[in-house]
Amino acid sequence: MEKQGVLITDLRTREAREAFEYLAGLGYEMISVPDGTCLWNETELEAWGETLKQNLYAVIHPAPPLFLRPLSEQTEDDFAKAADDGILSAFCVTKVFAGIFRERGDGVIIYLNSIHAEKPVGRGSLFSMGCGAVQMLAREVNQDYGTHGVRSFFVQRGISQYDPDGKSDISNLYYGVEKRYPERKMPAADALNGLLAFLLTRGAAPLSGSDLRADGGMTMYYGERITEEQLQEIRRQQLLENRKEVTILGDE
Amino acid sequence: MAMNEERVALVTGSGKGVGAGIVRVLCREGWRCCVHCNSNLALAEKTLEQIREAGGEAILLQADVSDPAQARALVEQTVQAFGRLDLLVNNAAMQYNRFIDEYDVDRLRKLWNINLGGYWRMIREALPYLRKSPQPRIVNVASVHAKRPTCFDAGYAMTKGGIRMFTRELALELGVDGIPVNAIDLGGTRIEFKTGNPAFHSYRPLETRNPAMDGKVRLVMPEEVGHLVSYLASGAASAMTGSCIRLDGGQMLT
Repeated sequence: MEKQGVLITDLRTREAREAFEYLAGLGYEMISVPDGTCLWNETELEAWGETLKQNLYAVIHPAPPLFLRPLSEQTEDDFAKAADDGILSAFCVTKVFAGIFRERGDGVIIYLNSIHAEKPVGRGSLFSMGCGAVQMLAREVNQDYGTHGVRSFFVQRGISQYDPDGKSDISNLYYGVEKRYPERKMPAADALNGLLAFLLTRGAAPLSGSDLRADGGMTMYYGERITEEQLQEIRRQQLLENRKEVTILGDE
Repeated sequence: MAMNEERVALVTGSGKGVGAGIVRVLCREGWRCCVHCNSNLALAEKTLEQIREAGGEAILLQADVSDPAQARALVEQTVQAFGRLDLLVNNAAMQYNRFIDEYDVDRLRKLWNINLGGYWRMIREALPYLRKSPQPRIVNVASVHAKRPTCFDAGYAMTKGGIRMFTRELALELGVDGIPVNAIDLGGTRIEFKTGNPAFHSYRPLETRNPAMDGKVRLVMPEEVGHLVSYLASGAASAMTGSCIRLDGGQMLT
């Protein structure tokens, strides 16, 4: 039996590269975009897509690497780049490959995106704007192409050990990350791979159109119960600082 | 009211439709407003006339917010006219009403540059002036399609999903400057021109029609958007930031 082809459109992130290796190990024929191919050049993509038509079964489209820059420092070029890299590429990939799947009546498209489709990162307005846009694209694909056998999923990846660069001076999201996970440790980067493998199966069909938050529970973190000793220490500090009110958020 | 008489609002896309409803309400409440339009000058002049007849104070400026120079001029001319800026309402948007396979890259770029780029550009240009305001506010008009798919215009829904996250990011980022940023997830609104995709049909079986609900789920009126904007711009709403408030007359419940 011929191997099913799975295209990962962008291998810039370590998660995408590890998924590539993992799925190859499961027997999929893994495909990457040839060097120099522009994902937002529809004509170019269409021509290349024609050559894959035969056995392409699924496409995984990862979000671009995280990009942080304060609004007042962003330029027109930054906006254009974010729109091309974060939004237009997702749209062109969808139009070309989901189009192939629709014609065939079968296929999977997975948007391997980010929790920043829901949760701001701080100073990441252009990046998160793209995530929010692609989240809506995934929902539209489910509506427009779902009746033609195309299954679509939007995965909100959490922070992994390979994301050291999300630290912002106005959000504590990326600080003390280990504490935010109920298991008290950051999931290994390949923890996503099992989910991706499942979504490629027909068993995942009832989840089509879903947002799947794969963040190990970190986004839900709000604080934690502390010990009596810690509480006493906080009260002592409070007295020292002569503050009338202290709100304990459980994080620095 | 005394405070409103000094305050200045710039509402993009306010020559007609939703934006016109917003400026009519704000001017009635004593705001001085910049009515902005791009393509339909005739309707914008009518809106300006309505405001002035009602005793309101407003100016009319024409600009394409997808052009960086024109977006900058729009903000600067508003400040030149009134001396300050307290409220920016991003509302100017377009809708192609096309299915995914009917879009091409040029159309998408044009859409981003107005629906997302216009909002982004206007906030950047307005920021230095908003920082000087004693009670600055930013309101982004989004759509119920920032969360629920349209089924007939993926490009439009993507821009609205982008605005949802842009609003949340800026609420965090501009919170440092004391500027609340909120969005309105607007449902179907009664405006001058009918919108939508004629090739899309929302099938509703006869047996699900409930006469008791007829007239209860309804279109939103542009002035009702204005009242919500007025609240968001008030001191009473100062704790509200990063919110996406759904205003849809109950449309999303069915």
